[in-house]
Parts: sequence; C-alpha cells; structure tokens
Amino acid sequence: MSVTVDEVDAEAAVPWYRRGRTLDVVGLLARLLLGVVLVWAGAAKVGHPLTSQRAVQAYQIFPFELAGWIGLALPFLEIVVGVLLLLGLFTRPAAVVGALLMLAFIAGIAQAWARGLSIDCGCFGGGGEIAPSATRYPEEIARDTGFALAGGWLAWRPRSLASLDRILFGH
Amino acid sequence: MAKNSTKGRAPAGTKGRTAANARQAKIQAAQRSSSGGANKIVVATVVVVVAIVAVVGGVIWMETSKKDAITGGGNALPAGVSALGDGYPAYQDVTPVDGAPTLEIYEDFQCPACKSYEDQLGSTVEDLAEQGKVRLVYHVKNFLDDNLGNTWSTQAGNAAFCAADAGKFQAFHDQAYANQPTEGDGFTDDQLAGFAEAAGITGSALDTWQECYDAGKYVDYVNSVEESSAKDGVTGTPTLRLNGETLDLGQVGTPEQLTAAIEDATA
Repeated sequence: MSVTVDEVDAEAAVPWYRRGRTLDVVGLLARLLLGVVLVWAGAAKVGHPLTSQRAVQAYQIFPFELAGWIGLALPFLEIVVGVLLLLGLFTRPAAVVGALLMLAFIAGIAQAWARGLSIDCGCFGGGGEIAPSATRYPEEIARDTGFALAGGWLAWRPRSLASLDRILFGH
Repeated sequence: MAKNSTKGRAPAGTKGRTAANARQAKIQAAQRSSSGGANKIVVATVVVVVAIVAVVGGVIWMETSKKDAITGGGNALPAGVSALGDGYPAYQDVTPVDGAPTLEIYEDFQCPACKSYEDQLGSTVEDLAEQGKVRLVYHVKNFLDDNLGNTWSTQAGNAAFCAADAGKFQAFHDQAYANQPTEGDGFTDDQLAGFAEAAGITGSALDTWQECYDAGKYVDYVNSVEESSAKDGVTGTPTLRLNGETLDLGQVGTPEQLTAAIEDATA
C-alpha cells in the first residue's frame, strides 16, 4: 500500500507535461502524424509506377535504372512503415525507419535545391521537373523536418497510448 | 498475430485438444516468464515476412502493370528519325539557314502547360522553323498516361506520327493542342481522327492514317522517346532546349524574348 502512495506522490511531484500519461499521448499523436503521412504518401503512388519512377529519377542522385527500382519500392515501404506506426507495433524500429526516410527526403530535396534543379518533390504522387518559379523547397523541407521530429520522438520514447506494443508485449 | 497461429493449429479431437492445451500452457508460461505477453520474436518474424512480401510483391505488380500499359502496337520509326528514342525533326522540307540553332521541344499531348506554351509561343517557333531560322525537333513524351490513368498521350503521339506519314505532323500537332481536353478527360478516337482531317488528311490518305492509328504503328517509338528523354533528364513538360541548353520559360515567355534567344544562339 505504501508503495502505491509513494507512486502517487511521485506522480504528483512532476509537472503535468512530464507525466507518463502526457508523454504517452504525445507518442500517440506522433504515431498518428507520421503513420498517416506515410500511408497517404505511399498510397498516392500505388498504381502510378512510371510517375513514381520519374519522381525519383528527377532528383538525379542514383543511376537511372536504380532510381526506377527505388521508385517502384518506395510506396510499399512507406505503407508498411506507416501501418506499423498506426498500429503501434514495433514502434521504435518503425519510427527509426520512418525518420530515416524523412531525413533521406530532406537530403534529396536539399541537394536538388542546391544544384539548381527545379523539381516537384513528388512526395504525395506527381513529381518531376516543374517551372523554377513553382518550386517549394523550403516548405517541403520544413514539412519533412516536422515528420522526422515525430519519428525522432518515437525512436527516443516509443511508449504511447493505444499501441499494439502495449497490448501484445506490455510496454 | 500469435493468436492467429495458435488458432490455426487447433485440432479437432478431444485428445488432440488436451495435448494442444498442455502445449499452449507451456508456451504461455514461457512467454510470461520472458516478456509478459506475446512472443516478440514470432511476431517480429511475421511482420518482417509480411513487409518483405508486400514490398517485393508491390514492385513486381507495379512493374507488370507498367509493361501492360505500354506494349501493343508497332515499332516503326517516323520519317527522318534514325533510331528509337530520338526526337522527330519537324519541317523536314525546309533547308535551315547556316548556323541555325536546334530547338528541342519536349511535350506530352495531355499536358496543360504544353498547351499554354503552344498558345503563347507555338506560332512564333513555327514561323522561325518555316523560315529555316531554327531547326525544330519534337520529343513527344507520354508520361502523363501513367499519372492520369489513361493511354491518350500515347495514342495522340501515335496519331501525330501517323499524320507525319501524310506530311501533316505539324498541322495535327497544332490541332491537338488547340483542342486539348481538360486534363484527365483524355481525347477520343473520333476526336483524333477529326484532328487528322482538320490537318488536311483526306480521302485514301485518311484511310491510311486510320489504319496506322488502329495498328498503333508508332506506339513503341513514343515509349522509347519517353524513356530516352527521361534518361536525358527531362521529367517534366514542356521543356525547351536550345542547342542543348534548357531554357527557363520564365525568361523566354514572350514571342520577342524567345525570338531573341534563338537569334542569340544562331552561329
């Protein structure tokens, strides 16, 4: 009994924003944000194989053929990672992969910007060359940075509300 | 997921059930002692296998559906084109003046920005080409088919080169852009035949055009131009390259600016 009282006292001593419950809610929001974005981004590319290939090829990073294969695989990788995050299943590894994907996207967009390419990021379908005045590199980088931070949070503290990790593995 | 696998093994007989129960109890005891829930390694294995199947299966499916979209038809080369993937030189009956620069135009018949370009600058470029002041080369792309979920870029491209057989590429091209449907709606077979007629293809020549169109004589050629132009770094349309230099359409957006750029590039 005294243990419980101590726990309550300890919980009352920390400010609300550092309590486990609050942090679990943050975790849930981070999962939903990154999960929804990844599933959405992946689903938008499914059924558009050539467009997805051209979007990757437009970055002019990888050899043409390799970029084509990446373009075919990326949508499904995004969906798999996104679904795991939505389910809260293996949250930490999924979040690490999700954050790395976002960092890769940021690097790709930044190098396109730096090299003077004018492309659409192709993040949610579409992609390819566009008019120089139509590029939106800063917005795209800022947005992906937000998503990377959500992934970073979950990699650091994967605990969250309503996760399969908690139901199946008790954490 | 661990639940599913035990359900799948549930035997019918009572004897079997007892044995299974005992086994189940042991498994559960082992799990409780290790992680207090489902067996993490089993679940992880299932997830990894499902993930790999999803990605690999998805890639194979996408690659297959891509091939379905672009095959069918002949692999003929339009007159004046020496290899698959090369652009189509327009105004082949015009002798260019000495030092005339080459203007390469990368277009997709379903691209609204290409229509804007054609509306604003198309006639300027064609006048210069007619006077031999610029060598005009068209790269007819079809990547919007995949984006829009139809095949009308390829079909309009094929139709344009069928018109080229009758010496009417440019007229057909201009008709198609002047009457471009709203993005996504696509052309119709009748519409494309109408463009051929409006381009001045009549009588038996129109029958020949129709046969060429129906056979998809230039489908492979259009696909090859899409692929080779993308390899050359052209993944958007319209793209204009003057003597190999990509033009910023913001800088040459008026007939005067484009004419000046072409004159500057003349040797």
